[in-house]
Amino acid sequence: MRLPKNARYAVAASASLAVALTACSGSGSGGAATGTWDKDATVNIGSLYEPQNLDNTAGGGQGVTEALNGNVYEGLFRLTDDGKVENLLAKDYKASADGLTYTFTLRDGVTFHSGKDVTSADVKYSLEKVLADDSQSARKSNLQVVKSIATPDAHTVEVTLSKKSISFVYNLSYVWIINSRAKNLKTQEDGTGPYTLGKWTRGSALSLDRYPGYWGDAAANKKVVFHYFKDATALNNSLLTNAVDVVTSEQSPDALDQFTSNANYKVSDGDSTTKLLLAFNDKAKPFTDVRVRRAVSAAIDDKKLLASVWGGYGKLIGSMVPPTDPWYEDLTEVNAYDVTAAKKLLAEAGYAKGFSFTLDTPNYDPHPTAATFIKAQLAKVGITVRINTITPDEWYTKVYKNHDFTATLQEHVNDRDLVWYGNPDFYWGYDDKQVTRWVEQAEEASTTAEQTALLKKVNRKTAEDAASDWLYLYPQIVVAGTKLSGYPVNGLNSQFFAYDIKKKG
Amino acid sequence: MTPADLLTRAPAPARRRGRSVTLAVGVTLAGLIALLALVSLVWLPYATDDTSGGRLAPPGDGHLLGTDKLGRDLFTQLMTGSRIAVEAGLGSVAIAALIGVTLGVLAAFAQGWLDDTLAAFLDILIAFPTLLLAMLVVAARSATLGSAVLAIGLAQSAVVARLVRILVKRVLAEDYVTAARTSGTSWPRTVAGHVLPNIWPTLVVNLALQFGLAVLAEAGLSYLGLGAPPPNASWGRMLQEAQATFTTAPAGALAPGVLLVLLVVGVNLIADGLRDTLDPATRGRRS
Repeated sequence: MRLPKNARYAVAASASLAVALTACSGSGSGGAATGTWDKDATVNIGSLYEPQNLDNTAGGGQGVTEALNGNVYEGLFRLTDDGKVENLLAKDYKASADGLTYTFTLRDGVTFHSGKDVTSADVKYSLEKVLADDSQSARKSNLQVVKSIATPDAHTVEVTLSKKSISFVYNLSYVWIINSRAKNLKTQEDGTGPYTLGKWTRGSALSLDRYPGYWGDAAANKKVVFHYFKDATALNNSLLTNAVDVVTSEQSPDALDQFTSNANYKVSDGDSTTKLLLAFNDKAKPFTDVRVRRAVSAAIDDKKLLASVWGGYGKLIGSMVPPTDPWYEDLTEVNAYDVTAAKKLLAEAGYAKGFSFTLDTPNYDPHPTAATFIKAQLAKVGITVRINTITPDEWYTKVYKNHDFTATLQEHVNDRDLVWYGNPDFYWGYDDKQVTRWVEQAEEASTTAEQTALLKKVNRKTAEDAASDWLYLYPQIVVAGTKLSGYPVNGLNSQFFAYDIKKKG
Repeated sequence: MTPADLLTRAPAPARRRGRSVTLAVGVTLAGLIALLALVSLVWLPYATDDTSGGRLAPPGDGHLLGTDKLGRDLFTQLMTGSRIAVEAGLGSVAIAALIGVTLGVLAAFAQGWLDDTLAAFLDILIAFPTLLLAMLVVAARSATLGSAVLAIGLAQSAVVARLVRILVKRVLAEDYVTAARTSGTSWPRTVAGHVLPNIWPTLVVNLALQFGLAVLAEAGLSYLGLGAPPPNASWGRMLQEAQATFTTAPAGALAPGVLLVLLVVGVNLIADGLRDTLDPATRGRRS
């Protein structure tokens, strides 16, 4: 952005020269692509999630991740749309034999948008920013293992951990590398990504401009504009009228018919990481009894619930693990829908005549619908559900903080969040010594294979114990005009990489 | 026909007809909903938790108006919703009448600082948004139909009380009431013998209007998830749930909307008709 003018021209000129050479060489894919898409296109993206501010350590909401992760800011590593961790600003890294020291080598020739070179001091600053007392980063607790950060030279960072942490590199994919001299990060930016921040009109839109000095492959479009909507219907209408080219995440299947039946649009049904849970309080009667939890899980027809809420979209899951997590296993057959088995389990547990419990239900979709369905289903095995509607604030205080509930409904959005079952103080109160140990061992594992094997055990054990009832996995539905290609379809952790999006002229 | 009617000029036949038509239409509309509500107590086409209908089935084929997302019969829910609407209206109006009339009469008789304090209190209560009051009540008591009715009734009682206070003051200023009071009639007897007979026509009309407002308020609260908890099929909740499916299954949103309008318009027409018939102040004005 702040490159001297002539330097900018030089970059542009060499870029077009490279394109011309590729075209002449006649290599099929490259040549075809240049002919069919507009390199200087503006891509309009429709979203329901406007950021509150532009700083991912200041509680800006999922809109911050959506608009800026990978687009404006980059980490040492990148979590790709299919859940893999790749080197990004780190050229290479090495872990010591004891797994306590990580040495990162930074990529050469990377500059911030302000023009300054990226150095190890910036990396140290960025990591400390996430760990700071006032940081609201979602990864702060995972990164508490960082004991010290050393910068032996401008391109080397050495991080010492207080104990082994196999997820350390993965967690670093959430840490933006920011210029240590940058100011006012809530409204401005100074990252290294393929775009610079254009204009942010609060309540309406945020635009990104292609950064000519980007170290990697230049973005496939010139400008990206995120348009923010409060209402899903208005969002869909703007897609129909071509005011936006793509919608990042549809929240209801019923508006989709107008796109599936129209040849100008493509509806992608990707994998999200958002799970809908009927979370029992495993420390409150009668859910202290595994048989009761299994009975309730078996008495609810998840397939029918999913069909009701999402039509033909979404997936069934038998545990907390979505298919994009490395330790995924299909456990839908564990405690599957079986009313006879449910009745038998209830009788064994001494509840042959059933019982009644209060279900704390957040007052927004899909929870009331799911609660109604669960009430009807459990009535068939003699269990009476009292639905208590609560606001998100009440949920946070009553359920999450005070653990004052018997059962509740909640959506859990993050990937790799199975490990919360290893924490007996978490709101659902699942307390199994063996599981806690496996989770700890997995984090301190030396290889990902070892980690994966241990977490698979956790996965199966929690599923068999019906620690919670995992009702279904939300779909991630992206709708785009057919002129568009290269957009992410999984929206992992609400990321939305815009740099590969190609728009036909 | 009240005795007072005989004293005024006989209304023109055309106006009399217009008045009775208003009342008749109002009674028909509101009566229709009341009938649905009453029938729902003894008979429903499907059980309220019967989800066998299939997702968003279109109208017809065993389901008069089709089904909702969970496969529940819409008409069944509409009938249950009628009952909840009528209950909400009656309950709120009963609370509003009880508290409102008591406070209003008290304020009118009290005079002096108590009157001023009560009047100020009522003004504050009226200025307080019903919805906000309802949210407070719901936060304190959890979201149930009872909480919603209580909140709506409380908010409306202020309106009723203010009206009653003014009406009663006007009656108390009449010569014959002053005569009765100076001759030693106790105030309870004054209220029963002179005040209530004189204020009830206006009061009834106002309560009928409040009924319509209460039905709307309950629908609004349920729409926000603060009214009757699921699976109770309140019209407001049905509207909220059907919002996302409006383009593919419009019946789900249209039906509760239409019934809501019918009931509120019906009750307002009844109030209009009653006012023309009962209230001496407006009688004859339009002739």
